[in-house]
Amino acid sequence: MGLTRREVLMVGGVGSAALATAFFSAGGACAQDEIAEFVKRHTGRTATESDRLHLTMPAVFPTGYTVPMDLNVDSPMTEDDYVKRIRVFAPQNPLIDVASFNFGPRRSMARVSTRIRLAKPQNVVAVAEMSDGALLMTKTWVDVATNGCI
Amino acid sequence: MTTPTPRVLMQSTATKGEVFRVKTIISHQMETGLRHDAQDRVIPRKIINRFVCRYGGVEVFSVDLHEAVSANPYIEFYLRATESGPLEFVWQEDGGGSYRLETQLAVA
Repeated sequence: MGLTRREVLMVGGVGSAALATAFFSAGGACAQDEIAEFVKRHTGRTATESDRLHLTMPAVFPTGYTVPMDLNVDSPMTEDDYVKRIRVFAPQNPLIDVASFNFGPRRSMARVSTRIRLAKPQNVVAVAEMSDGALLMTKTWVDVATNGCI
Repeated sequence: MTTPTPRVLMQSTATKGEVFRVKTIISHQMETGLRHDAQDRVIPRKIINRFVCRYGGVEVFSVDLHEAVSANPYIEFYLRATESGPLEFVWQEDGGGSYRLETQLAVA
């Protein structure tokens, strides 16, 4: 290799920002496709990414045993328009199903909190089935320091 | 393992139409079936696999729990007060066991 340390550093300095951008956007698109594919495989349908569905979890958590999870869907919860079910998946766990929450119109709100186990840092995925048949999804990245599935 | 103890925390009165929070927890190992004992035998799965809340006899909220719900499963949810009546909470365990609690809600 005919490269000097100085040349390497110069190229690195100029290119690193562009490289980082390219890497992260490619990674993002890839993760997006993978998750859409994952949801299709496990629900049999294509879900729409939606900002009506809020999955709130800490971005970083010290233990995988009890990671807090908060789910909330913007819905009037009337007979005509309510959330039937929300399924939560942890695609990188040894068993990917986390829980499924079932709601009814009028007397329940589409909001729930619990604590879950995660085996490794991953995107947690929530899929909401609405009363009109629509399938909404969202995801959030959680970085856990220890495996909570052993 | 100690006997699982369920607990529910919620208000006892509400105004009609009010949205109120229900906090529930049950002390339970939630043995995932993924662990091995000292002799390297699989410890069989034993988890709470279902939670149901009935309000005035009608199921208003339920959860199907899988292995990835943490030990001592904590579930917090929200209901709308429509009329006075009992709220019944049932936790079902692998192997057919179940644990139950009931509280009253007075709606003014």
